[in-house]
Amino acid sequence: MNLNTEASLQLKANRQHQLWKRFKKQTVLHLFVGLGMLFLLIFAYTPMFGIVMAFKDYTIVTGIKGIFTSDWVGLQYFNEFVDDYRFGEIVRNTLVLSFLKVIFAFPAPILFAILLNEVRHLAFKRFVQTVSYLPHFISWVVVVGIAFSFLSADIGILNKLMVKIGLIDKPLDFLTSANYFWGLAVGSAVWKEMGWWTIIFLAAIAGINPALYEAAQIDGAGRLSRIWHVTLPGIKGTIVVVLILTIGSILGGGLVGSNFEQAYLLGNDVNNSTSEIVQTYAFKVGLADGRFSYAAAIDLIQSVISVLLIFSSNYIAKRASGSSLF
Amino acid sequence: MPTNQKQKDLLLDSIVYALLFCIMLSTLYPFYYVLVVSFNQGKDSLLGGIYFWPRTFTLENYATFLTDAKWYNSLLITVARTGVGTLLGVLFTCLVAYGLSHRDLLFRKVYFTVIVFAMYFSGGLIPYYVVLRSLGLLNTFGVYVIPSMLSTFFLLIAISFFREIPIELKESAYMDGANEFVIFYKIILPVSTPLLATMALFLGVGQWNAWLDSAYFVQSDALRTLTFRMMEIINKSNIPIESVGAAASATGVTNYSLQVTSMVVSIAPVVCVYPFLQKYFVQGIMLGSVKG
Repeated sequence: MNLNTEASLQLKANRQHQLWKRFKKQTVLHLFVGLGMLFLLIFAYTPMFGIVMAFKDYTIVTGIKGIFTSDWVGLQYFNEFVDDYRFGEIVRNTLVLSFLKVIFAFPAPILFAILLNEVRHLAFKRFVQTVSYLPHFISWVVVVGIAFSFLSADIGILNKLMVKIGLIDKPLDFLTSANYFWGLAVGSAVWKEMGWWTIIFLAAIAGINPALYEAAQIDGAGRLSRIWHVTLPGIKGTIVVVLILTIGSILGGGLVGSNFEQAYLLGNDVNNSTSEIVQTYAFKVGLADGRFSYAAAIDLIQSVISVLLIFSSNYIAKRASGSSLF
Repeated sequence: MPTNQKQKDLLLDSIVYALLFCIMLSTLYPFYYVLVVSFNQGKDSLLGGIYFWPRTFTLENYATFLTDAKWYNSLLITVARTGVGTLLGVLFTCLVAYGLSHRDLLFRKVYFTVIVFAMYFSGGLIPYYVVLRSLGLLNTFGVYVIPSMLSTFFLLIAISFFREIPIELKESAYMDGANEFVIFYKIILPVSTPLLATMALFLGVGQWNAWLDSAYFVQSDALRTLTFRMMEIINKSNIPIESVGAAASATGVTNYSLQVTSMVVSIAPVVCVYPFLQKYFVQGIMLGSVKG
């Protein structure tokens, strides 16, 4: 018995010694990785801990230390946001914009991929596809600049063209009217990101076994029914995964993202009643007005909802179809 | 029956091609239109009616753009941050990835957990701002290139790439007494050019287009990026358009024509570069989407 413990102690010491030797041999590698960990600690984890400022009375002049030393105020700032007279409007805008984007921007790349898959000229197909994801690589600022060139009431050529051919009497104020903001945001998001997300669906279609198409053809299926009975079931898994991602990030704009950029760039005093969303509001009260704790609380509400959404959509997808992310 | 099927196919084909043609046109034409207007005299453009070709061809928009101190400066800043930011991002991410690519590395699981957690969760803008402020990064050029030095997304891609490199390459260097840093620098990086090119192009496009950091973290006019300045002009131009300063108004350059010119300057390098990224898209989008 005694001997046994002694032997196991010896063994343990040996193992520790060997681990230490291994570590010493890897010192330089750990140094490399350690630099990365230090980077993440500073730029990713410190802000994560900093979230507690949402529950505190924080002022910016106290710096990082102030986050931990300032007084607790509990849910004061959360209550203040809920009681804000613009609360209802801002939450509505965030939800409407997010859901509209899912409804229109989610199916668009699937349809586009199916269209492309029906093309027999390979060169044409390649060209269309290459063109289609150009907008993905362009800054949102430029996209808004293009929207201005086409839609502004003064010089937008689409407006001028429509007046010229008598479609409308006078230019429509697409960019400076609350009525058009949602359509504008959803439309420009689809224009910018549809081609990019098509890549993932085309890759999925390419993975379908060609024998399935041949078998369907022998059974007398036309092209439309082959799309319906072979192509769509073949990419079901991919569709589910992308849908989970979409729902998880829905408050940021789903897979086309950019709710903040659009609301910030396309929003102005005139269309504010439909363009102000939670993120832009948090940005304004936080960085512009200097109310850091309040803004952090608003941000946190949105983050918590997003995390809940991604876990629940993943769970539902797993139960319903067997495909899931984690 | 077969003829019927053929007719149906023909109809389907025509619909497919017509739709694709419309999509292609609506994607390409805006870029072409912006290009045309940038070569047209500014005041003349305000009259409208230009669709396919400049009406009063001129290079003065570009001349004014390059001689205007503010625009020129923002272009320099953007070029600098793209160069420095891309270089730092590629090298630092690869260095960390090289360490992590060793399968026998101790605490490997801990390291990976730390990385993946950081991919999924963030503290949000406000605490991040506080951190940057405490580090003294606000209102400096560093805020453009330092916080973006490590890309967790490319970290994972680089790790899997380095793992595919034959181990014999390294072992012979070990025999010669090389240390890890020399191996990384002299052996690993040179055989990883496809990875380095992909990373450089993606990070480079991101740096080139960035404007949010300029809006959030910078107040100094001297540090504004090209896209930020463009944003300022576009925001102002919801109000009726006037000519720019006295010197420019003599030449017919307007705020709008400068805005359009800056857009072309911003788009042009991207158009030249992005077709080369094609090969890596699928892999990238898969991993990128998991990041969410």
